[in-house]
Amino acid sequence: MREPEVTYKPESLTASRPLLWGAAVLSLIMMAPVAWLVGLSIKSNQDLMMGTDSVFRFPYTLVNYLNILHSSQVFGWLLNSVIVATGHTLGVLVLSSLAGYGFARLEFPFRRTVFVIVLFGLAVPEQAVIIARHQMFSWLNLHNTYLGLMLPGFSSAFGVFLMTQFFRAIPKDIDEAALLDNASQFRIFWKIMLPLTLPAQATLGIFTFLGAWNDYWWPLISATRKEMYTLTIGIASSQTNFAQSEGLGFLAAQAVFASLPAIIVYLIFQRHIVTAVSGGAVK
Amino acid sequence: MAESYRRSQWSHGLFILPYLCFFLVLLVFPLFWGMWLSLHKADLFGPGRFVGLTNYTRVLADPVFLQALRNTIIFVAVSVPALVVIGLFLALALNRTTRATSFFRGLFFSSSVLSVTIVTLIWRFVFIPGDGLLAVLFKQVGLTPISFLSTSGWSLFSVGAATVWWCIGLPMMLFLAALQQVPQDLYEAAALDNASGWRVLTRITLPSIARTIVLVTIIQIVLQFQLFGQAQLMTNGGPSGTSRPLVMYIYEVGFVRWDIGRGAAASQILFLIILVAAMAQYIVSSRKTEA
Amino acid sequence: MSASIELENVSKRYGALTVLDDISLSIAAGEFVVFLGPSGCGKSTLLRMIAGLEDVSSGTISVGGRRVDTLPPGKRGVAMVFQSYALYPHMTVRQNMAFGLENIGVPKDEIGRRVKAAAQTLEIDHLIDRKPQKLSGGQRQRVAIGRAIVKEPAAFLFDEPLSNLDAALRGRTRLELAQLHARLGSTMIFVTHDQVEAMTLADRIVIMNARRIEQIGTPMEIYQRPATRFVASFIGSPTMNFLPLTAIEKGQSGLALSVAGLGRVETSFPSQTKIDVEGASLGIRAEDLSISAEGETGIPLKAEIVERLGDRTLVYGVLGDGSKLTVEADGRAAVRAGEVLQVRLAPDTFHLFAADGRAVRGGQ
Repeated sequence: MREPEVTYKPESLTASRPLLWGAAVLSLIMMAPVAWLVGLSIKSNQDLMMGTDSVFRFPYTLVNYLNILHSSQVFGWLLNSVIVATGHTLGVLVLSSLAGYGFARLEFPFRRTVFVIVLFGLAVPEQAVIIARHQMFSWLNLHNTYLGLMLPGFSSAFGVFLMTQFFRAIPKDIDEAALLDNASQFRIFWKIMLPLTLPAQATLGIFTFLGAWNDYWWPLISATRKEMYTLTIGIASSQTNFAQSEGLGFLAAQAVFASLPAIIVYLIFQRHIVTAVSGGAVK
Repeated sequence: MAESYRRSQWSHGLFILPYLCFFLVLLVFPLFWGMWLSLHKADLFGPGRFVGLTNYTRVLADPVFLQALRNTIIFVAVSVPALVVIGLFLALALNRTTRATSFFRGLFFSSSVLSVTIVTLIWRFVFIPGDGLLAVLFKQVGLTPISFLSTSGWSLFSVGAATVWWCIGLPMMLFLAALQQVPQDLYEAAALDNASGWRVLTRITLPSIARTIVLVTIIQIVLQFQLFGQAQLMTNGGPSGTSRPLVMYIYEVGFVRWDIGRGAAASQILFLIILVAAMAQYIVSSRKTEA
Repeated sequence: MSASIELENVSKRYGALTVLDDISLSIAAGEFVVFLGPSGCGKSTLLRMIAGLEDVSSGTISVGGRRVDTLPPGKRGVAMVFQSYALYPHMTVRQNMAFGLENIGVPKDEIGRRVKAAAQTLEIDHLIDRKPQKLSGGQRQRVAIGRAIVKEPAAFLFDEPLSNLDAALRGRTRLELAQLHARLGSTMIFVTHDQVEAMTLADRIVIMNARRIEQIGTPMEIYQRPATRFVASFIGSPTMNFLPLTAIEKGQSGLALSVAGLGRVETSFPSQTKIDVEGASLGIRAEDLSISAEGETGIPLKAEIVERLGDRTLVYGVLGDGSKLTVEADGRAAVRAGEVLQVRLAPDTFHLFAADGRAVRGGQ
């Protein structure tokens, strides 16, 4: 008897090799622009003036990165970004946790109505409110302040929605046990519920932080003084004097430097970000 | 009567009160204030003269607005299908947990965490005439380099390429999440039924995630209608307005020319378009049964 | 510390839907009472109303003579063990037990003393610094009980606490609960749908069905003198045989009943009993029937299925008119399916139920 030929393996059910090769080719397109950027950033401006194809040849240098250290502006913007994104994130976490607990666990008049109205907030694009918001912040003299840069983010309904979902997932028995343990409503929230949502807090926090870090619209309009720029706006402003072949290397190094915080956060917290993206949006 | 913890109490509302204040002041009020402004000849510090719907008629008659609207629709019509198809392809290819697939997933999502400023900078380096990556490659193979960012037609395309590169992570992740929900035994049953790979894809996989495909499409329509940063930073809407999107029109009218009333009117029109898409999303996502 | 519990005319309604209808019950201090009934009968709701987790629509609840139905759950002096245990996942065993005491401001050394004592009693002192997810099902159960004990409550409420344990552990935990009750002497209310738990644990069983209490009594009363046909059918395994009646007459010493499949049977039910034959039925437990010895006469029964349980044998058979009858025989009985047996009746053990399900008293 001849051995039967093995033509079938169970794991070939869900994905196949040609698809994987296709993804590998796309990944090259994904990486090429970044490799080019990094390449430019480690060439001296003189070399690049001769032609950017010098990227493929020695010598390489870190002089562009050293130049960033001498330009204090970038560090000022970095600091602004850290302050604004951190404040924005903390605010969203506090507000969303409180509201999410309220919506998911407590009963009060008009709860459903208010929740539906808040959900409608998810559908309001920033452009629809930005002109009026800008005017309000002018009245209150909030432009070019940290508070002015943070505040609009506090109204985002996404975090409330996400935290409501997370609180709903905690078994009701837990609150009931705490009630029988004589805990007050706030103590149940603070000592029992909040610790149980720590993973959710991390997810929402990182997601919000990245969003705030990368925000372009609002700081572009609100921060008009150069020293109040966030890193995103600052880098954009240096792009406008993007003179061909002049300072390309320095600009590239700036871009690499400016993308590092987001990339580092991403590498550390990849799993949380994926949860926020796929969990928050599908439901 | 017992004072049960389940009992509706005003004091319970205190938990949502802080958020509600911000929501009302920073979202609801500006939304209606914006509508009010759109009916006025307004300047930087408040509404001036009431002009009724004049702002709307002027916006709708403005050739610059119409051009921006057309640009945006073309942009959405091209970039959204590209995002959905490539995202779906990647999800199908990477729907398995091996070291290689999780690396690729991480890679394809990584661009999404960059700011628009970085993304446009990266792509400008690719597109700069003479010195960009594409120009260098074109020269290597003996083609004449194109000035992508300053040639009409190519400029909007370049913005689209950068956008797809930047945004591909989200559709991929959403499709992956949907694929994990497809019960494994469906595939096992299909294997026992001798179904070919193609039939499994068209008869089992795609129908199972049909709702997600529709949802992702709508989400992307909503997102891509708000195109702004890429166009502003890469082409500044040029050449001669051929890559200017709607949001950039709003920005220029409202914050460069300071014609607040008209900017508000244009933003309400955009809001209306997005609202229709969001409603579609709500209807699809609240429909429990899959098509 | 233990206290009596008094329920007076307690009802629970959700809008037009009535879940519990006019329940009155008094439980003595130190008593172990089991609420037993099929799922959906309202037994858990009643327990949660005593705990304060559900509103009382009408009626009053008192614990130790103090009306509590207007108090929040924490102020009622009762402790509850949940079916899911509901341990706080982020706290250690020690913190789980201490939480309730901290909330009412018990001094730290007192908390430590009580937690230590409870942990020793339940033999979980070596687990005291672990978190719940590192514990087995049985260990979590003990922690949940420990969390109740440290509060030294006026009454313990158990909501199907054994249903998440495997069979062997359930049996052992049942015994330990009985010991715990004997040692603490506290009032305990225990909700279950498992009749074995009810029979073994309870001082008194409260049988509930369809919004109402069917019967309250000691396990033996409930078993031997079921007040309704529902109780008779719910308690006991295999289920009691019910045969419809065709005529009721005065017999020699009591009622003479004409029973479908059995013919005319003399019983000891008092002959003056007033009962309408329409819808009435005779109930006989399988163990009260026996197989006649070789040569003796009895009621012929064709055995259809024979279940051998080791210590006893259950014979499921058909009577001459097609009615089904289950008989319990000795473990060594040589019955085979298909055989026709002679069954001996013991009229003293009969139960007689009127059309409304109520039992007629006086047979025994």
